[in-house]
Amino acid sequence: MTDSLYFPDPTQLAVPFFIVAILGEFLWIAIKGRGGRYETRDAVTSLVMGAGSVASGILLGFLAYGFFLFLWRITPLDLGTSVWVILLCFVLDDLRYYWVHRFGHRVRWVWASHVNHHSSQHYNLTTALRQTWTGTFTLMMIVRAPLILLGFHPAIVLFVGGLNLIYQFWIHTEAINKMPRWFEAVMNTPSHHRAHHGRNARYLDCNYAGVFIIWDKMFGTFVPEQDNDKVDYGLVHNIGTFNPLRVAFHEWIGLWKDVVQPGLTIRQRLAYAFAPPGYSHDGSRDTSETIKAKHLARTPSDAGTPGFR
Amino acid sequence: MPLEILLILVVGGISVTALLLHLSGRSNRRVMQTEEDVTAEWLRQFPDDFVQGVIVSLDGHSALVQTETGLGLLWSHGADTVGRHLLDYDLVDRPEGFQIYFHDFAAPQALLHLSPEECKTWKNLMERS
Repeated sequence: MTDSLYFPDPTQLAVPFFIVAILGEFLWIAIKGRGGRYETRDAVTSLVMGAGSVASGILLGFLAYGFFLFLWRITPLDLGTSVWVILLCFVLDDLRYYWVHRFGHRVRWVWASHVNHHSSQHYNLTTALRQTWTGTFTLMMIVRAPLILLGFHPAIVLFVGGLNLIYQFWIHTEAINKMPRWFEAVMNTPSHHRAHHGRNARYLDCNYAGVFIIWDKMFGTFVPEQDNDKVDYGLVHNIGTFNPLRVAFHEWIGLWKDVVQPGLTIRQRLAYAFAPPGYSHDGSRDTSETIKAKHLARTPSDAGTPGFR
Repeated sequence: MPLEILLILVVGGISVTALLLHLSGRSNRRVMQTEEDVTAEWLRQFPDDFVQGVIVSLDGHSALVQTETGLGLLWSHGADTVGRHLLDYDLVDRPEGFQIYFHDFAAPQALLHLSPEECKTWKNLMERS
């Protein structure tokens, strides 16, 4: 059993591809006059967030990797480095991604980190790079622990995690409508992920998949994009800033202010940190459940349709 | 990948993208044309509200929205809009009009370009609200 297995960081190697693909998507939109929107400050903010996320990974990655190496030393299992092991790890890591992503939308502590990815009102390839700077603080690295304890080397786990993120890059586009039916049935696609980025009541808390959409179908969170309900991108309460520091930290600041406000019980303070986003001790805010309920009160005909079941 | 190469790629990529978008007119701010336009944008962000009245600025980059619970401000945020109810804010006069500070880390301020006549009308409405 060795600690010193080397796999390249695929996300860093993919940077030239990201740049070329973004320029290609922009040119496609500019020439065709359809397939999405670009705005200068929004795109620059997304790209700076992406660069900051890579920098954060370089600066803080040793914390997660140290934790993974610790687990690797205590596990008696070693599955090796065959292609089949790497493929199996890729699939299981995608299941891991599904749950981390679901926690990212249902636990405010994790949402505080993930929210910036949803903070653009645009949806194009730059949005894919609008990534968190604070993922390490969520401690979601713990969800990777079972993979390493099962005998997947930490280097393989991180390698397939990088491939997972690269897969998700191309689905952040409006330039592709639908993929072939078999592909839409199994894989995460631009259509499925557009729905995930919707702030419409119908699309809140759906389609958490990274690569395989089957996880959402298995766990009851799949909502197909509807032709009669165009996706409105962004947050329920959209932010009014392009400042990357504010984008990265605004929900952490909000969480802190809520937790330390006077007159709350310990239970209420914990709920502000760990309950679903939108929790409030006095019911003055909306969660995705109350937003959906209010929508159905206004539009009863939507009851029973996807996203309102 | 060596860090120097990564840095050059990232800085170069961001610069080229920004330049291309700006030169192709993608830096233009949203212009709100009509009261219906403003009402639709407001309800997109506050679907529970009942909009009673709207005043759109002459430049089309901001609007005061009267709802049953008080006034709100809608303003251009790049190609899109952002709205906030006018509940907790400071107003500071500027040569262009005035600036509103929201005490909100996610939407810290909005600079409104208003004529002197608009400033007077908007301030009166905001003071009464």
